[in-house]
Amino acid sequence: MNSPSTQFVSSRRMGVYDPIQQINMWGDSLKSNVNLSASIPLIDEADIKFDSQSEDASHGILGTNIKYDQEASKPVDKIQRRLAQNREAARKSRLRKKAYVQQLESSRLKLMQLEQELERARQQGMYVAGGLDTNHLGFAGPINSGITAFEMEYGHWVEKQNSQILELRNALNSHIGDLELRILVDDMMNHYTEIFRMKSAAAKADVFYVMSGMWKTTAERFFLWIGGFRPSELLKVLLPLIEPLTEQQRLDVCNLGQSCQQAEDALSQGMEKLQQTLADSIAAGQLMEGSYIPQMATAIEKLEALVSFVNQADHLRKETLQQMSRILTIRQAARCLLALGEYFQRLRALSSLWSNRPREPA
Amino acid sequence: MVHDMVSENAVIVFGRRGCCMSHVVKRLLLGLGVNPAVYEVEEKDEEGVARELEAIGGGGDNNKVQFPAVFIGGKLFGGLDRIMATHISGELVPILKQAGALWL
Repeated sequence: MNSPSTQFVSSRRMGVYDPIQQINMWGDSLKSNVNLSASIPLIDEADIKFDSQSEDASHGILGTNIKYDQEASKPVDKIQRRLAQNREAARKSRLRKKAYVQQLESSRLKLMQLEQELERARQQGMYVAGGLDTNHLGFAGPINSGITAFEMEYGHWVEKQNSQILELRNALNSHIGDLELRILVDDMMNHYTEIFRMKSAAAKADVFYVMSGMWKTTAERFFLWIGGFRPSELLKVLLPLIEPLTEQQRLDVCNLGQSCQQAEDALSQGMEKLQQTLADSIAAGQLMEGSYIPQMATAIEKLEALVSFVNQADHLRKETLQQMSRILTIRQAARCLLALGEYFQRLRALSSLWSNRPREPA
Repeated sequence: MVHDMVSENAVIVFGRRGCCMSHVVKRLLLGLGVNPAVYEVEEKDEEGVARELEAIGGGGDNNKVQFPAVFIGGKLFGGLDRIMATHISGELVPILKQAGALWL
């Protein structure tokens, strides 16, 4: 009997366990994991036992019990034993495959997270090699899933924002009717409501992340005020772009700007108070004391107020946008929202250009 | 006593002692030219005071009191959220004037 073909026939007859085929499926990386040495002797042993019986058996038919029942009982024992060995080998093989797949899945997740961090680092124009700012590149502790989720959602938010801006620009250039324009305006307003909702959830996951505007590009972060844009500043930028306005509108916008300023001042003063009370509670008791647990408990309570500040600041931003939409006609509101969107697009572009600018060799 | 304070003052802010959000409300009202009365609630008295304030009510459907809580003209006006929203929409100043908390 020529061994190679016999071996092939035997594998097919066994049906369940074909190590050669499986190794090809799993790829080379598995070689180290698969205990090949254990499986091959199994086949050889099986082949040796089976060869002597196979002369009359027909080829091309997967091993079935029916064929072998007609043999004497002694070979049946051996066959039963071999089938049991097959089942065992198959079971082990399935377990190994499961472990391999799990390993792949967790590597994939890790890769996704690393890619996100890298993208963020690139946006921020930071050098990946060491330095003082390594904290910015990721999280010192375990990966925060709430923040990872936020970053992915934010990526989609920006994409949708860009397509809405494009749609709005085309609509205004094509002189569509007010009703259709209103739909586009409402969509954009709802989209802003969406980012505020996302930020609120992210603030619960990591308030410092939101407060520091970590998801924004560098230029955007330059204008940061309590985790986002300062409404009064934005109004100053947008006002000349929505002319012509009626006298009443101009007065209303002016009043809105003033109200924003007052609300912002109140929130800023609240933040200062928070810093002060936080500093006081950390410094409470002799600074020389070894133990500082009671101070930390108070301090943590104070820090939780930060979440309220982020929420209030976003509430202010949202109310400002809505008041603008009340003051303006639908067409003016559309132009205003377009200008707002483009402004942020330019800031993001600026960040990119800045981080990619050619630098003087050292 | 809480009841008296509410009826005697055009504007009164009830807030937790040392709370930064109460501070925000106060600063905003002061910035508008209002001189609000302030009642600082101790942590242990919070629940009691909240229930008393809810009994005074006048806040419509949403009678639940959360600190900081603002009363204008003897009635529950709301928290920081409502103060912010009505200030931005321009409704707050007229309400304050009507309650006698602001003179032009």
